[in-house]
Amino acid sequence: MKVPALPVIDRVLFTEEQVQQRIREVAAEISSRYNDGNLKMIGVLKGSVFFLTALARELTIPVKIDFLSISPFSNHTKAPGVVRIAKDLDEPVEGEDVLLVEDIVDTGFTARYLLQTIAGREPNSIALCTMLDRPARRIVPLKIDFKCFEIPDRFVIGCGLDYKQLYRNLNFLAVLKPD
Amino acid sequence: MRAPYMAVVTVSGQAGCRTREVARLAAQRLGFTHLSAERLDALMAEEFGPVVERASRAWPDMAASILLRLATTEHLVVGLDGAEELFRGFPALLRVRVVAPAARRTGNVMLDDGLNRAGARQALAARDREAARTRKARFGRATAAAEAFDLVVNAASLDASHMAELIAVAVMQKKLIEHGFLSPAAEAQLQFQIRLRLARLGIHPRGRASLAKPQFGHPSEEIFANLLDFYRIPWEYEPRSFPIAWDEHGNVIESFTPDFYLPESNLYVELTTMKQSLVTKKNRKIRLLREIYPHINIQVFYQKDIMDLVMKYGLAPQAQPQP
Repeated sequence: MKVPALPVIDRVLFTEEQVQQRIREVAAEISSRYNDGNLKMIGVLKGSVFFLTALARELTIPVKIDFLSISPFSNHTKAPGVVRIAKDLDEPVEGEDVLLVEDIVDTGFTARYLLQTIAGREPNSIALCTMLDRPARRIVPLKIDFKCFEIPDRFVIGCGLDYKQLYRNLNFLAVLKPD
Repeated sequence: MRAPYMAVVTVSGQAGCRTREVARLAAQRLGFTHLSAERLDALMAEEFGPVVERASRAWPDMAASILLRLATTEHLVVGLDGAEELFRGFPALLRVRVVAPAARRTGNVMLDDGLNRAGARQALAARDREAARTRKARFGRATAAAEAFDLVVNAASLDASHMAELIAVAVMQKKLIEHGFLSPAAEAQLQFQIRLRLARLGIHPRGRASLAKPQFGHPSEEIFANLLDFYRIPWEYEPRSFPIAWDEHGNVIESFTPDFYLPESNLYVELTTMKQSLVTKKNRKIRLLREIYPHINIQVFYQKDIMDLVMKYGLAPQAQPQP
């Protein structure tokens, strides 16, 4: 694999081959758990798109897919408001086995809110899958059912993760160069 | 300066309805002070000592004694099952009940407690029984009468922010804030009656419990508080100091006060934005805290972490939102 020489990259954390291999392994776990064919994967826009797509391709079971996104936080006003669903699911999840797919879980804020929201819609079960788990930043305790990698306390780009909306399309995971 | 009046919103609800979140959001929208059951428990311990019989018949008077005093300077949202019973006859009052079908409540418990559906149903039934017992002991009846509420909202069709918005609209429509009804003399009279009843039970309020508005020591703390509010994470600012050094006579000579406490996670959070020389000093305090109080969970955010959060959550002008 050829890694492009980008000035923002400090070092490669996981190569394309390592990412693909791990996604295959996690997909096998998911296929085994949900072999009754009732799985719906829900991706969180935008970061999880790349991971969810790669993961879904490796599954050996039928799967439905849906997406949602949440409103961004802004500190520009004194009243920061509260998080809301900016793009809701296209279809209900009632009675389905939902797998929320995240690119990264660090503080746990987003995953907690989304899990709570989805749980209220009467799914048969709900679980969390993330490509990256950064436990050093965890504030909200969460049960992560499936994860590809646990990463150190660094800013990571690639495979859907961005810096200023760039570098999501990198096929590997890299640590952003500090400043 | 004392406000000449008070407004109170009580929010109670069935287990698994996330009533506390509704109360907190309503308080945020209205600019009122939110008092959760846990916060009230802490204030009662401050006022009456560490042993407070939560389910005793004296409990309503003990709670009301504190709430009346606090409400002379704060408008309150009291998020507590049975709170509507504490302010009978008060004109500037909105009593809200949150309900939801069993399926919705069970879903919330599944998630909050990491249970499957059968386990969540059992847990919910146990909480309902406990709530009924507590209500019966405190107020003489195990269930809430529908006519005891001004507004009933259904968490099956409304999310927490919708319910908070409805509460805010109702407060405005009822003109609670402008109502002005509790003169200092009336408050004193009510307190006298309450203290008389408590004195018969040998309970004497100390007049200690108070609410302190957070005065953030650094702008990053306010940003972090806003971030927690955004994600509806309950928090308290500097609620507790931990002694970490004593002199030979046992007097405390050094303490450490973490910036935030998150009751849902039972986690203290310390933000460190200062320069490296001072970070070393703070790290020593945190290390001592962990040694002396190993059961305390504390998460430290250093300047780099905070800047990453700033980038991640779009706080900086050029940064982007990222889930």
